[in-house]
Amino acid sequence: MDKTLSVVWPALLDGLVTTVAVSLSALVLGAPLALLLAVAGRGGRLLRSASALYLSFWRGTPILVQLLIVFYFLPFLGLQLEPVVAATLALALNTAAFQSEIYRAGLQAIPKGEREAAKMLGFSGCQTFLRIEAPQAFRIMLPALVGEMQALVKNSSLVSVIAVTDMARRAQQMAASTFRPLEVYASALVLYVAVGAVLAGIGLLIERRLAKGVGR
Amino acid sequence: MTSGFLSDLPLYASGLLTTLTVSLAGIALSVGIGIVLAAALRSPLLYISLPVRLYVEFTRGAPLTLVLFLIYYGGPQFGLVLNPYVAGVVGLGLYGAGTFAEIFRAGFNAVPKGEIEAADMLGLTPGQAFRHIELPQALGLTLPPSIGQAINLVKESSVLSVITLAELTKVAGTISSITFAVVTPYLTVALLYWAIVESLSRLGFYLERRLAVKG
Amino acid sequence: MAERTTAISVRGLEKHFGEKTVLNGIDLDIHNGDVLCIIGPSGSGKSTLLRSLAFLDAYDGGDVHVFGRMIGWRETPLGRERMGAKELADVRRPLGMVFQHFHLWPHMSVIDNVTLSLRLVHGVPRAEAEETGRAMLDKVGLAAFADRRPDSLSGGQKQRVAIARALAVKPKAMLFDEPTSALDPELVGEVLSVMKALAAEGMTMVIVTHEMGFAAHAANRVVFMDGGKIVEEGAPQPMFAAPKSERLSQFLQTWRERAL
Repeated sequence: MDKTLSVVWPALLDGLVTTVAVSLSALVLGAPLALLLAVAGRGGRLLRSASALYLSFWRGTPILVQLLIVFYFLPFLGLQLEPVVAATLALALNTAAFQSEIYRAGLQAIPKGEREAAKMLGFSGCQTFLRIEAPQAFRIMLPALVGEMQALVKNSSLVSVIAVTDMARRAQQMAASTFRPLEVYASALVLYVAVGAVLAGIGLLIERRLAKGVGR
Repeated sequence: MTSGFLSDLPLYASGLLTTLTVSLAGIALSVGIGIVLAAALRSPLLYISLPVRLYVEFTRGAPLTLVLFLIYYGGPQFGLVLNPYVAGVVGLGLYGAGTFAEIFRAGFNAVPKGEIEAADMLGLTPGQAFRHIELPQALGLTLPPSIGQAINLVKESSVLSVITLAELTKVAGTISSITFAVVTPYLTVALLYWAIVESLSRLGFYLERRLAVKG
Repeated sequence: MAERTTAISVRGLEKHFGEKTVLNGIDLDIHNGDVLCIIGPSGSGKSTLLRSLAFLDAYDGGDVHVFGRMIGWRETPLGRERMGAKELADVRRPLGMVFQHFHLWPHMSVIDNVTLSLRLVHGVPRAEAEETGRAMLDKVGLAAFADRRPDSLSGGQKQRVAIARALAVKPKAMLFDEPTSALDPELVGEVLSVMKALAAEGMTMVIVTHEMGFAAHAANRVVFMDGGKIVEEGAPQPMFAAPKSERLSQFLQTWRERAL
């Protein structure tokens, strides 16, 4: 039994690399779109309706269905993308919808008075955003962003459905080849939970480092 | 394509029914387990609250996909053979219980301890204080996040397609393999999910308003 | 004074919170009809003492007797053991308590707040309970607010409802834990008026307060605490005019400076 299991861990860890890569890429890809969506709320009627529609769809439908729609729809656009790229794209579109809520709440949390003070001191809108609002908003949003990254790691397990060799897919392969699904899936579960815990730890570390600089 | 759609209608209907019933059962199981877990979390006895706390934190990081694989494919290894439907309900139930436990625990904690002390001083038994002071307030506090979690579980029910349950997502796959129209079935199914989610959201708002007026 | 019976008696009361000793040996007798104010700086143990009288905080040493019965602990041949919930509720029955943060139940109307205990605990039928409830609300000047919700009331009104709620079950003694500390200054007066009226009716009252004016004029006894001990006690006017201890003198001085 030990012999077969010693094959499992390297395979799972190999899948883990893909899982983390896909999740991280999706998070980073989705961030600019999320920011746009968050700011669109302050825009004109058309912009607001478009973003509301986007949010409603991407938050109101299952991720698996979204994945499959993107995967099968891309060829119609003439794009022949690797499954892993299509999967990352779908996850990015999904996380953008959830991240936009986080950004919206984070920006709202900054007292309006600070923007007015900046205006009076001659700062441009862009400068105010970069130097006044964004740094503070980031601190406020950090826990929620860590949560979203943790959710992404969990959701990424679905890309195994479109044959991307992430950790979940590797687990399936190992379960089939070792005939010990219980141990394999349990191990994979432990790994997923461990990743989530590591993310939480990283988040705490960043929070503490940011707090040092402020001294509030 | 329209005639194809009409002939697929019964398939969509059965998929929808399966999604609705398995979600409902999964939510109910989740809530039931969640209540027990929440009570355990509030226990002053460490050997009760600690294992439960570990379970809640564990299920936070566990993807439903793997939980289902474990139950459905791993179960037979030690004699537990479940059909996809039951495995799906159990999976949803165990997966979602942790979040409900947190929601219920937070809801009860939010009731000010002083109100319980006032009840004690006025002679109410712990049972009476729970029924008349804690429970009504906790109910109002836990309803919005509970609706949110219920909606999440409905969306997550699409994952049950990976253990071959013939719910909406699986049905879309089946139809696309028959008709070779790939995007339409999934879009249709997306719309159906969206409709369920929207209805639950509206229900949630309505209930929130009703409870707010009473409470 | 006519023969005075003891309502609450305290002997050698001690309480520790971990390493810290909060109550360091308190001896006190509260007689029927007393209006006793407990004053002192923050951290002196005033609230802990009051809460120990009702066993809302479990004391570690000494004993507290409420109307002849020890509260919280039961003496057995093997030592002391905690009282069961039912017995504790029974010993507590003659006591009423008013909290700093009122602790009204926000999901019920004012009249339901006042009558809940009567109906659930004392088995009084709803109609009779409401009659008593409205009478109590009238006593505190809030008869018109019976069907309102607590969140529509001001702080002073909420505290008066809390007093009515405690009075409805006819306590023999009332404990007040800084009843006006959480109130805006202009709302303090309405609550103190109700308390003064209660005192004039002969209710036995133990009040932890920072309101020196109330202590000076409405109380017949004042206890000054510092560092978990009773430093000085006696009738308020002579005590305030000529404090015997340095600490009380300093305490009164800071109060006089603030009052001006």
